Amino acid sequence: MMTSFAKYWNRRSTGGALLFATATIFVAAAVSREPTAAAAAERTLASDDDPASWGGPPTFRRLSEDQYKRSIAQIFGADIVVPGRFEPPVREDGLLAIGSARVIVTPAGLEQYAIRAHEISAQIVEGKRRNDDLKCAPAAPGTFDDACASQFLGKYGRLLFRRPLTRPELAAVMTLSRSAAKASGSFAKGVESGLASLLLSPSFVFRLETTEPDPLHKTAQRLDSYSLATRISFLLWDAPPDAELLNAASSGALRDPAGLQRQVDRLIASPHFEQGVRAFFSDMLAYDQFGGLSKDASLFPIFNPRLRDDAQEQSLRTIVDHLLVQQGDYRDLFTTKKTFLSRSLGALYGVKVDSRAFNGWMPYTFPADDPHSGLLTLAGFSMLDASHEGRSSPTIRGKTVRENLLCQPVPPPPANVNFDLVQNVNDPVLKTARARLTAHQDNPVCAGCHRMMDPVGLSLENFTPVGGYRTQENGVTIDASGTFEGKSYKNVTEFTHLLHDSPTVTSCVVQRAYEYGVGRKVATSEEGWLETANQGFAKDGYRFPALMRLIATSPEFERVSAARLAPPLKVASTK
Amino acid sequence: MTSWTRRSILQGVLRGSAITVALPLLDCLLDINGEAMAAGRPIPTRFGTWFWGCGINQRRFFPDKFGTDFEFKAETMPLTPHKDKVTIFSGFNAILDGQPNLTHWSGVMSMLTGTAPSQGGNGIGRAPASTLDCLIADHIGTDTRFKSLQIACTGQSSVSYSMRAGNTVNPSEIDPVSLYTRLFGPQFQDPNSGKFTPDPNVMLQQSVLSSVKESRDQLMRKVGAADKARLDQYFTSVREIEQQLAVQLQPPAPAEACVVPKAPKALEPGTTWEDATKMHDVLTDLLVMALACNQTRVFHVALSSAVSNLRRAGQSVALHELTHEEPIDAKLGYQVEATYFLERSMGVYATLIKKLDSVKEGNGTLLDHSLVMAMSESNLAKLHTLESIPMIVAGSAGGKWRAGQHINGKGDTVARVGLTIQQAMGMPVASWGTGANTTDKTVTEVV
Repeated sequence: MMTSFAKYWNRRSTGGALLFATATIFVAAAVSREPTAAAAAERTLASDDDPASWGGPPTFRRLSEDQYKRSIAQIFGADIVVPGRFEPPVREDGLLAIGSARVIVTPAGLEQYAIRAHEISAQIVEGKRRNDDLKCAPAAPGTFDDACASQFLGKYGRLLFRRPLTRPELAAVMTLSRSAAKASGSFAKGVESGLASLLLSPSFVFRLETTEPDPLHKTAQRLDSYSLATRISFLLWDAPPDAELLNAASSGALRDPAGLQRQVDRLIASPHFEQGVRAFFSDMLAYDQFGGLSKDASLFPIFNPRLRDDAQEQSLRTIVDHLLVQQGDYRDLFTTKKTFLSRSLGALYGVKVDSRAFNGWMPYTFPADDPHSGLLTLAGFSMLDASHEGRSSPTIRGKTVRENLLCQPVPPPPANVNFDLVQNVNDPVLKTARARLTAHQDNPVCAGCHRMMDPVGLSLENFTPVGGYRTQENGVTIDASGTFEGKSYKNVTEFTHLLHDSPTVTSCVVQRAYEYGVGRKVATSEEGWLETANQGFAKDGYRFPALMRLIATSPEFERVSAARLAPPLKVASTK
Repeated sequence: MTSWTRRSILQGVLRGSAITVALPLLDCLLDINGEAMAAGRPIPTRFGTWFWGCGINQRRFFPDKFGTDFEFKAETMPLTPHKDKVTIFSGFNAILDGQPNLTHWSGVMSMLTGTAPSQGGNGIGRAPASTLDCLIADHIGTDTRFKSLQIACTGQSSVSYSMRAGNTVNPSEIDPVSLYTRLFGPQFQDPNSGKFTPDPNVMLQQSVLSSVKESRDQLMRKVGAADKARLDQYFTSVREIEQQLAVQLQPPAPAEACVVPKAPKALEPGTTWEDATKMHDVLTDLLVMALACNQTRVFHVALSSAVSNLRRAGQSVALHELTHEEPIDAKLGYQVEATYFLERSMGVYATLIKKLDSVKEGNGTLLDHSLVMAMSESNLAKLHTLESIPMIVAGSAGGKWRAGQHINGKGDTVARVGLTIQQAMGMPVASWGTGANTTDKTVTEVV
């Protein structure tokens, strides 16, 4: 197990050129299974037509709850109520974004989508906030205005499907609307049914990516313009493309490097970029675990849902302020003394908070001698352990750092481990978590993984399960020293500085942001590009918006490996 | 009643003239054999799975004797009043068949799918095939409003061991108010009200679903091989909801035992034993009436996740952690703190059995017309053992199942129990399972 770990971790630091050469050979083997044998044979010898990477398959991703709600708000207005329960997301390979490309919609889930489709549609067509685009509706009951319905359904169909409706699609929704209008005697009911069918289509509920041959690389495929616009928009905004981005896709502007750059810059400059950054870090840091998170009230009376929500918001505010407002270096997130405090957090950190002037959140800088510095020392990290409600688990914390911040997956424990010794909190001899875990590491079956997880987690033991600070456990002083990537540290502050300086930390966020955007694990042929992106990130002073720009404008971002050709788009409406 | 067609209702209702149809008054007949018939139709058989996490202490759980002359042990004692109506299975193993022992996953999947899973662990993962409740729902769940219902008691809708092949669970209902609205809200047609008013909106919803379905072929051409199954599942779900709506356009058959419950009060979920069992009580009240009112015939209840986060108020450690880290008491031979939960789990199951048994249907009870299988994902959770996985079935499937026994599996695959249940539910299945778990050996003692 150690060997495979070492291999995995060392791969990151292998020389870029060697790694790239190896990757190319791998790819040749991998793509030889693709449709045309001639093209494959061509690829076994590097050709000038070959792209730098072969990408991965196009994805078919279910919209998350936030993405669904944001789509409705962006397209129809923020006051539209989106009812019903959403199916739980699934995390795979470290990201919900990757899980979204593997989940299905169950019948119970579809029942909810159907309820939503009808209730949303009724609000838009018949409700108080009747859509302006329906002013053309015929006045006489029992009549149906084809032009009015077609204009309305075509326009909103394009925004919902993130591409124009095809002729058969528009024809189908018009047929439905007409017959529903006839049956009910109401034009509005007809259009409402039509709109509901768009909201209930897999073309809205999922992001279905389609591809086209890449004119720049004869041997390769790329996303079509609409699928690219959608990828970019969800990466940067966690929301569907707006009308302007769709127009850039239909006009071909997105295919011109300057046009692409312009759109990406526009999206990054928009206030919506903040929601995109929040969505990315919420996924990368597994903040979905905050939902329903609880701690034992009798052991931690300070904990309540308000403190929990504030802890999450504190971390996100710190991230957004540092990366976007201050345009800070990503690495400084791990050491920064700057944060924001709400009243409930003030009580936790022992700081008097007067947040009235700041809309509930007071900017705050921890004093130089305060142990709090950086994301890992905030309550949002300390309490985010859904499986332990009554105490801290250095193993879980260590696993979280390894997997979420260093992109080092930890294999599951063997099934037949005897944990007797490990965490008996009442052990008369082994009084601290460190003592108990050290004993555990003597078991060779466990040692391989625990040596990776536990030291990191133990360095954070000064923080209680709800994020308070402590120096002792069971009357014994907590020892937060250890070594990380071959360098020793005495306490959590030194540890966070080692994280700050670790290239693993920066390469991990590059990898995760890319995987988040493409909705799959990074492919072997993309390792070389990741190295280039790491260098680009460094050159840009580890500015996060620059990283997002680099990803969104890169040819690799639109590269897809398998053909999923959209039939030539017979466009039914363009606006 | 034969003159009812969807079209005739549709035309009448959608044009604005609401039609209300008088139904024959509640009319429960007994046929000449004494078998219960409701309005001339046999009383349906229901099926459910009831899951609790983190296993058992087998010496305190399984009776010593096999057959009908057995005595319950400390952890099964709450089942005593229902002895004649329960069947205990011991000695049935989840066979790993070359796959790793995926902690808190291999056991539950082997039992429910007859297949050792290859991906997952810690209570979540990929189902290698459809779970038993889904298979049975495909068979008996098509003419009720809901094909099946899932319920979880700790506030997490992702806690569900009802799955189609893949990584997505059939999400659980976790909130009494929304479950009530879904079951008995405005869309509910009281089978005993004596009148039936088809809802015109249901017909419009049906035509919307039908239109969505028509895009299937066109879209299937657009997705790659790996995603075809996922897209196809979407359309399968569309069809199921279409059928669900079709049921609502039919006058409901009278249901003797159906009493529309009162709307429950809001209840905050929690992970303490008290919170979870209170939630179980409220949610299963609704479930039992959903069964009695013919809203569904298949269900799944999860008292906790397989990695049980149940804990006692004021205790720092939850059940799953306790099973792994609490020392075994040298004198007693088991983990005292963990056992607090284990020996109460069957008590909670017994409350559901009692509720089902108190609903009279024909010449028996709702329980008599059901099979409800309680199970956990391991035997001894501490070591994730998969030998003699605990399974207890309550009910007798309308007379097709001989209850009141303790059955010895002698090391056979757990899939034998799943096979036998399917057969008792009337499914034409001769063999079930994958690889070493494949079996055609019915548990003949019970059917």
